This record gives sequence, C-alpha cells and structure tokens, in this order.
Amino acid sequence: MMRDRRSLISAGIAGGLTWPWLRTLAETADSGITDTEVTLGMSAAFSGPSRGLGIELYRGASAYFDDVNYNGGISGRRISLKIYDDGYQPDASVNNTMQLMLEDRVFLLFGYVGTPTVTRVLPLLKKFQDQSVFLFFPFTGAQPQREPPYGDFAFNLRASYLQETAGLVDNFVRIGRRRIAVFYQADAYGRSGWVGVRTALARHGERIAGEATYSRGTQFTATLRPQVEILQAVQPDAVICVGAYAACAAFARDAVDLGLEVPIANVSFVGSENLLALLTEGRDRADSERYTRLLVNSQVVPSYEDTSIPAVLEYREFMQRYNPAVPAELVTESYTPFDHSFVSLEGFLDAKLMVEILRRLGDEPARADLEQAVFSLEDFDLGLSERVSFADGRRQGLQQVFYTVVDGDRFVTLNDWDERFS
Amino acid sequence: MQVIKVQKLFQKTLFGVFALFGFIGVSTSILLIYTVDSYLTEEYETNSAGIAQSIADSSVDILLNRDLSALQSLIDQFVEIQGISYVYITDETGEFLAHTFVPGVPDQIRNSEPATNSTIQRQLPGMGDFVEVSRPILAGVPGDVHVAMDTGNIALHVQRAIGRQVYLISIVFVVGVLAAVWLVSLASRPIGEALTYAVALARGEEEQAAPVAGILARKDEAGQLARLFLHFYRHRAPSTPSTDGTA
Repeated sequence: MMRDRRSLISAGIAGGLTWPWLRTLAETADSGITDTEVTLGMSAAFSGPSRGLGIELYRGASAYFDDVNYNGGISGRRISLKIYDDGYQPDASVNNTMQLMLEDRVFLLFGYVGTPTVTRVLPLLKKFQDQSVFLFFPFTGAQPQREPPYGDFAFNLRASYLQETAGLVDNFVRIGRRRIAVFYQADAYGRSGWVGVRTALARHGERIAGEATYSRGTQFTATLRPQVEILQAVQPDAVICVGAYAACAAFARDAVDLGLEVPIANVSFVGSENLLALLTEGRDRADSERYTRLLVNSQVVPSYEDTSIPAVLEYREFMQRYNPAVPAELVTESYTPFDHSFVSLEGFLDAKLMVEILRRLGDEPARADLEQAVFSLEDFDLGLSERVSFADGRRQGLQQVFYTVVDGDRFVTLNDWDERFS
Repeated sequence: MQVIKVQKLFQKTLFGVFALFGFIGVSTSILLIYTVDSYLTEEYETNSAGIAQSIADSSVDILLNRDLSALQSLIDQFVEIQGISYVYITDETGEFLAHTFVPGVPDQIRNSEPATNSTIQRQLPGMGDFVEVSRPILAGVPGDVHVAMDTGNIALHVQRAIGRQVYLISIVFVVGVLAAVWLVSLASRPIGEALTYAVALARGEEEQAAPVAGILARKDEAGQLARLFLHFYRHRAPSTPSTDGTA
C-alpha cells in the first residue's frame, strides 16, 4: 500500500515536472515552429490569367528568405513557406487557408494575393482569433483588412487603393482632366478601387463620368470593345483601371484601336511588367508606343531601376544571386518570370519586414507575441526613403505612392504630369 | 383460297390508339407546362425575395460602417447561387453602390424608376427575361437591394420536363402501337377466317372452305358465327328458279 502511494507521488512529481515541457512542445509543434524551422503559409495565384502576380510576389519574398536561410535562419530556424495555389479564386483561397491553419498548422499567413480572396479569408481569422493567426502583408490595397471588424487580424505594408486612386485623381484633376471614368473588375477588388475614385472625385466636386466592368479571369485574348464603347460614350478625360494585367492590357489595346485617346491609369495590383509585355510583345516599336504612351501606373514601391535606394540595390543583388523559382508542383501553366518587377520588389520588402518581426519574437517565438513584435516597429529602416512604423490602430507600414509611365520597354518614374498628359 | 384481311377494323383501332396517345400527350404536356411554370415562378420569386431580404439585413452594418468592397463581396457570393442573374444595391439617391453587371449597368435599369419592396418582370435586350425583387435596407433609408433571377431558366426547366415526358410517351406509344397491332391481328384473324368461310359457303363451294374449316372448332364468337353460316347453308330453302332462269 505504502509502495503504491510512493509510486503515485513519484509519478505525480515526474508528471508535474515534465508537463510544462510537454505542453510547450505541443504548442510549438502545433503552431508552425520547431527547433529548426518556422513555417509561414501562403495562398496566391500561381495559375490562371493572374498567375504572374503570385509568382512574382513569391519570387521576391523567396529571394530574401533564401538569403536569411543561407545565413543560418532566425535563431537557428530556417524559414519555410508552405504554398498553395488558389488561382485568384475566393473559394480556393478559403480552402487553402483552412488547410494551412488546421492541417499544416503554420505559424502565420503571409503574402496572400488579391482582394476577393483576402476578403473571404478574413472572417476565418476572426473565427480563430483565440489562436492568434495573423495575415501579414497581403498583396491588396483594399480596405476590409484595414478596417473593423477584420482589421485587427491583418498587417499591411503597402499603401491602400484609396491612397493610390486619390493620387491618380488628384493629379488628373490638377492637369485639367476632370472627367474621369472607371474600368474595373466586377468584384470586391474593383469595387474597392471604384470607391477610391468616387471618394477622391467627390473632394473635387466631381462624380465618376462613366463606368464599365469585366469579369475576373478575363484573358488578354478577349475583346473588351463593349467596355470601351460604354466609356467612349461619356467622353472621359482619363480612365482609371482597377483590374489585373490581362484584362487591363486588353482594355488598353481595344481603347487605342477604337480611338479612345486618353490617359489610362492602372493601380499597383495590375502587375505592370506583365501588362507591358502583353501590349508590346510581337509588335514593332512604333506600334508598341501607340499602345503604351498614354499608360500611367501607380506603384506602392519605388522603381526597381532606382539603385540609389538601398532596398532596391539589395533586392537586385538577392534576385540575381538566388533567382528563386516556383516549386515545380505549382507550375501548371507556362510563365517566364521577370528579372525585376514591382511585384517581386514588393514581395522582397514584405519578406524583409517579416524577418525583422520574427527576429523581434526572440528565441522562443509564440503567435501570441506577434502583435507586440509588430507594434515595436517604430521608424524602422527598411532601406526606403520612408520609414516603417506600426502601432495599435496603425496597421499599414508604408503610405507612399509612386507614379510610372512607359519609356521604351520599361516603366519609369513619372516626374511631370503636365508635360506627359496635358 | 386466300383468307380475307380485316383492314377497316385494323385502321380504326390504330387510329384510336394514335388519337388516345395524342390526347394524353397534349393534355399532360399542357398540365405539366402550367404546373412547372407556376411552381418555378413562385419558387424563383420566393427565393429572390428571401435572398434580397437576407442581403438587405446583412447590408445595414456594412453600408453604415464599412467599405463598399465588403458589400460587393457579399453580393458576389449570392450570384454564385444557380439561378441568380444579377444583384445590385442602390442608395437613397438611386446611385449604384454595388452591382454584378458586366460590362455595365443596363440602360433599362439605370433609367428605370427606383423600386422598393416590389416584384417586377424585366426584359433586358441581349440578356434575357428576369423576375426582379426589391427589398429596402433599413426601411429604404440607406438604400435598396435588387435581386433578379433569369426566367429563361424556368423555360429551360419546362423544356427539360417536356422533353423527358415526350421521351417517355414516345416509348409508351411505340410499345402501345406494337401491342395494338398484335392484339388487333389476334382478334381480326378468326373474324377474317369466318368471313372467308361464309363467302365460300355463299358461293356454294363448301369444299373450297376447307383451309379455314378450323374456324368451326373455335369456341369463341368467330367459331359460333362460322357454325351459324354452315347451319344456314345446310338448311337453306331449295333454290327457287328465277324469272330469268338463273338459280
């Protein structure tokens, strides 16, 4: 009897001593952290007409993560990306997120692509808020992940569509182009840009002159003449496009063909290099210029040609050194990546800031500490002209918007709107 | 001697079968069209009203507190439901806050009178016929929700139902005709034999009727008729010479 009691006490003591360790192990194993690895989950478009966006974003981010891993990782843990293709489709994005959160048990979500996808995923993050699963730096400037009730579950690096469209509208109005029409994707992304244009025009006492829409997934080979004709009828001074590169390139092509000779602006999500490639490939110089001379694209990162910027220099060096490729299992359609692009530069900056946040979590990272680690970023130097700060109520790191136009076979910074478009 | 065929009876029976199946086919089709059409129209209107109300209830918070992209995301999910053709939300001034039209809001809708809490039929050139249900958001103060279902789908459902019915009736018809042919030929054969036998007797050629003499053994009405003819033939009155000397 006495012996049994001793055994019981011994077992209790042993259990008491080992339980916290077991608990920690269980927690860390379940949350995408091991002694050797931290796993981030990503769902993006790697197939379909917008695959260039997911691929470029992934390549930029991977270039930085590869360098961190090459140099020993963070506190001895290498960064691993668990990736799924959603084809820029909301339902697939939701399924991927469930897989990442419940089956793969990643540490956090990173680098999602698109507004219609992200807006569908946000309620999931709220549902699992007790597990502190956050979405970091989605490739969208929409408002839902910046505002209640879901703003607390995401952190943004890039400027918003409201800021991009406001900048475009303000500049057009300043040079006397007040009748502004909108061509947009018929979904949450398009609506987000539409709201931005509408709000900005209202500040100038104007309304949207006309609007036309297209379906998500439209290919470059599709005709968008009906949309051009709708906007042509309202005789706009400029058109702001809120779409993906395939449809926006098709619109620009048809607009030129039908004689709609006004500036055509695109927001950063469009994927500028892919847009330019579609409009110029297989055409001679004069023809290419005809289709691109009136384009103006807003960007949320500086030009990757500007090597005076330390982050750009680092980005170009890492892209050349690592030249990341998308995992073979995700390659279902042909795609030739660009050496440099605005999207991959954004992915690179996202990854750089992500690494800094992970470093700030210390040797024993926990999801519950993520928010505090982000809020500790104050005037952080990412290598850009703008410093990055986060705080409770400030969940967007960068505010700056850049404007670019086509010069030959590339986008360059636009310095003088009057000279270009007046 | 060749057995006489009962053509008239055959034709009338077949005609009757055709007429019967025609009547059944047409009457059930009319009933089917009416039933499916009214049921689906009612169903579409009820569904549209339910969805419009659901969006209207969900939209209040979004319209008052959130970005319109959240509202667009909400209506996009409903358009993925089969049968819903378009959804749009207008504010109190009639401005389109969110919609699902591509390449744009049709002029007929843009220029129409704002409707609240109503069900209307719309015919949009190039798009089709729709039943559009409107429901107010918070008594119509922030705006209205409009949900439309394509009534072309109803016609499609009716066509499918009719197609299936025609298919079934065609099979039954073919089987029915074959059965009728078999039954009529079964019934008309002894009648034909009795008729052949009677003609032979009338000609006074009883031995010529030998091939069909089996008819006398039948227990049915045709056999009785043949035996009756034989009885009359054997017990006929001696023939009276006619005035012209013929028998």
